[in-house]
Amino acid sequence: MSKFLKAGVVVAAVVGSAVIADIAESAEIAEGEKVFRKCAACHTVGEDAKSRVGPHLNDLFGRTAGTVDGFKYSAAMVAAGEGGLAWDEQSLTQFLVKPREVVSGTKMAFAGLRKSVDVANVLAYLKTFDADMAATVATDEAPEEASAAAETEETPAQPAELPSADHDGPMKLGRLATEDEIAAWDIDIRPDGLGLPPGRGTVAQGEPIYTDNCAVCHGDFGEGIGRWPVLAGGQDTLTNERPIKTVGSYWPYLSTVYDYIRRAMPFGNARSLTDDEVYALTAYVLYLNDIVDDEEFELSPDNFTEIGMPNEDNFIPDTRPAEEHYAEKTEPCMSDCKPGPVKITMRAQVLDVTPDGDEEGGGAID
Amino acid sequence: MSGRNNKSKSGVDTSRRGFLTAGLAGGAALAATGMARANGDPLITEIQDWNRYLGDGVDAAPYGMPSEFEAHVVRRDVPWLTADPVSSVNFTPLHELDGIITPNGLCFERHHGGVAEIDPADHRLMIHGLVERPLVFTMQDLMRFPRENRIYFLECAANSGMEWRGSQLNGCQFTHGMVHCVVYTGVPLKYLLDEAGVKTSGKWLLAEGADAAAMTRSIPIEKALEDCLVAFKMNGEALRPEQGYPVRLVVPGWEGNMWIKWLRRLEVGDEPWGQREETSKYTDLLANGQARRHTWAMEVKSVITSPSPQAPIAHGPGRTVITGLAWSGNGRIDRVDVSLDGGRNWRPARIDGPSISKALHRFYLDIDWDGSEMLLQSRAMDETGMIQPMKDELRAARGENSIYHNNGIQTWHVNGDGVAENVEVS
Ligand code: HEC
Ligand code: HEC
Repeated sequence: MSKFLKAGVVVAAVVGSAVIADIAESAEIAEGEKVFRKCAACHTVGEDAKSRVGPHLNDLFGRTAGTVDGFKYSAAMVAAGEGGLAWDEQSLTQFLVKPREVVSGTKMAFAGLRKSVDVANVLAYLKTFDADMAATVATDEAPEEASAAAETEETPAQPAELPSADHDGPMKLGRLATEDEIAAWDIDIRPDGLGLPPGRGTVAQGEPIYTDNCAVCHGDFGEGIGRWPVLAGGQDTLTNERPIKTVGSYWPYLSTVYDYIRRAMPFGNARSLTDDEVYALTAYVLYLNDIVDDEEFELSPDNFTEIGMPNEDNFIPDTRPAEEHYAEKTEPCMSDCKPGPVKITMRAQVLDVTPDGDEEGGGAID
Repeated sequence: MSGRNNKSKSGVDTSRRGFLTAGLAGGAALAATGMARANGDPLITEIQDWNRYLGDGVDAAPYGMPSEFEAHVVRRDVPWLTADPVSSVNFTPLHELDGIITPNGLCFERHHGGVAEIDPADHRLMIHGLVERPLVFTMQDLMRFPRENRIYFLECAANSGMEWRGSQLNGCQFTHGMVHCVVYTGVPLKYLLDEAGVKTSGKWLLAEGADAAAMTRSIPIEKALEDCLVAFKMNGEALRPEQGYPVRLVVPGWEGNMWIKWLRRLEVGDEPWGQREETSKYTDLLANGQARRHTWAMEVKSVITSPSPQAPIAHGPGRTVITGLAWSGNGRIDRVDVSLDGGRNWRPARIDGPSISKALHRFYLDIDWDGSEMLLQSRAMDETGMIQPMKDELRAARGENSIYHNNGIQTWHVNGDGVAENVEVS
């Protein structure tokens, strides 16, 4: 049986007068579980929790900051703990809203939670993985408090009711999109620069942003920590036995770097960077790849399409159908197709990387 | 009979070491059958619990689940493949399945930013760009378009990608399990594009997901108008969250990454967008350092799913069923041949069940196995005359760093005990 109280179990354990409070409570926990996805790229909780990019968050309440065994904290976090910072409802609330203001110099590359209700919910969720707090969790809070938290929860904005046929398409379904709506979602950028937003940023400006938001996974030099993607280097390796495909060695277009960082990075906190920050980061990734070498180099829509990527010309169309084995299209051979008995030339057992072995394999999927 | 029952009661050992010893277990089961015959099989001569006591009522399982004896039939992942399970893949247990339809809960998963959880009431699909009328649809709006039902396979371009350098993984779940096949219900994409009115300059479509990866792919407009679907049901029920609930794109015959899940935006343009998943990824690096791009179609392919490393022959010599799957992004499968001797001699297999364009096909070869070693292979041929190549032919043409589009002929070595292993042959 798990030593941690699971969200579902909380509901089952409810008795008598605490019912209303507990229903609100379990709603909080359920919401908190969703909020925790923002943390899950780096933190784990529960039975098998291990420290990964960040320390595991079991038994967090009462923990002195920076003290999980075996996890390599920043000097700043260790110092904060030695200075008396311990994690409770209040200190966690402050930290999760503005991590870098509470522990200046922390290496937690997370911008912070914007909604206070998210903070309350994620803490309620984390309590269920806290052996001491779990016992009190169901009776701890007054009903008013719990339901107040539930009420402040934002319901998604309903767009104004529009008549269903505000256009003359063949089936008269859907409604016209507004310019603001299109602008909010249309963030793609094409190799010819179409879609680039106004803004600018230099290599020098990009460096601290990269160090704070990207280096935990991609490494200070873009070399990639563990199995997180490598962002730099690998030039002239594409014909090697183990090619290293990076922005510098492989990517055909600079537009993809800007587009992708803005849409999907940092992993677990997408869309959190400003357009200027993305220009600065894109410039910095170019610098890490020796495509620009001046720290004062500034990237903006004015010079964006002038930057050529080294490997652009090496992309060719799909020529598979012309390959010899397809081109023939003769009747397949049915007998004596190979001279003499067939021999085994290789066995999976030799490499033996099937899951449930502890071995690490040499393959890759992308 | 008793052999099978003993096996499930004792719990099937699904570990790899388990597969390797399963041949032995089969031998033990045979002995047990002999004993049962002498004394009378107690499973017959004695009254069993399930024959006496009442079972669960109709309220026990509002959403039914497989029998507890099928608990080993699950998707599995290969932790060392990727840095994080949130951007990773798991595999369909092909060796345990039959027919051509994959159950929803066993369809492999591949996503780049975890499974987005979206209330259909909060979902919007936008069409804009080179159109007469940029539009926004709710799920309710989508349900008012005429619907169609179609059966298609979906294969990840990286299926079998770990095998380019030689046999690595012991089990067709891992070598070939990034494929599934379900019946989709959805609206032809053409109807949605017509509703917005594509301008004559519109040649490309960018499809985008609402997940944390905001996955994007460029698709030529001819394909979008030809046979793509915007689907909200799979096998009759709502899409599973990991398959893009509430709505996904279906791009028949083309690589799975293009089947954008959690589909929220379609932009019409006059050139492709060169997105990360069509430059950094899903381009096929050749030996000479050049890379093919826009390699969308999945080529003709097949694999024997049983016997295979996770599904050894457990009953000893005699009558047995060799079965597998074949598919092609070009259309129907015309024919599948099976070889027992590593590709020297071939015989046609029997395709059974419906033969549908761009869907999985099920084939069988029913043989009397004499207990000698086999090097099992299957070779598919599609209606356009494309024949599944040998792995060495592919390597000669592409090198070993392609990652994607490995449709080479798979070999399983079956030894005298019925144990199967992933091998490569001369
Ligand atoms: C991008 C990775 C990342 C994300 C996302 C992230 N964290 Fe962290 N977190 C870290 C790292 C790294 C540390 C260690 C910080 C240090 O040593 O300065 C940390 C430290 C912490 C600590 C201090 C723990 C201790 O042992 O002192 C708490 C509490 C915490 N994180 C909570 C959260 C919560 C809650 C979220 C989600 C709302 C979150 N983090 C999101 C990486 C992350
Ligand atoms: C928590 C770990 C993490 C952090 C922090 C992070 N990334 Fe990533 N990054 C990833 C993962 C994982 C992928 C691959 C995602 C996928 O599988 O689709 C990736 C992919 C990328 C790629 C594409 C790599 C390729 O070869 O295709 C770029 C470029 C990138 N990240 C830039 C950044 C930048 C810039 C930042 C900081 C703003 C950042 N990342 C922060 C984990 C991270």
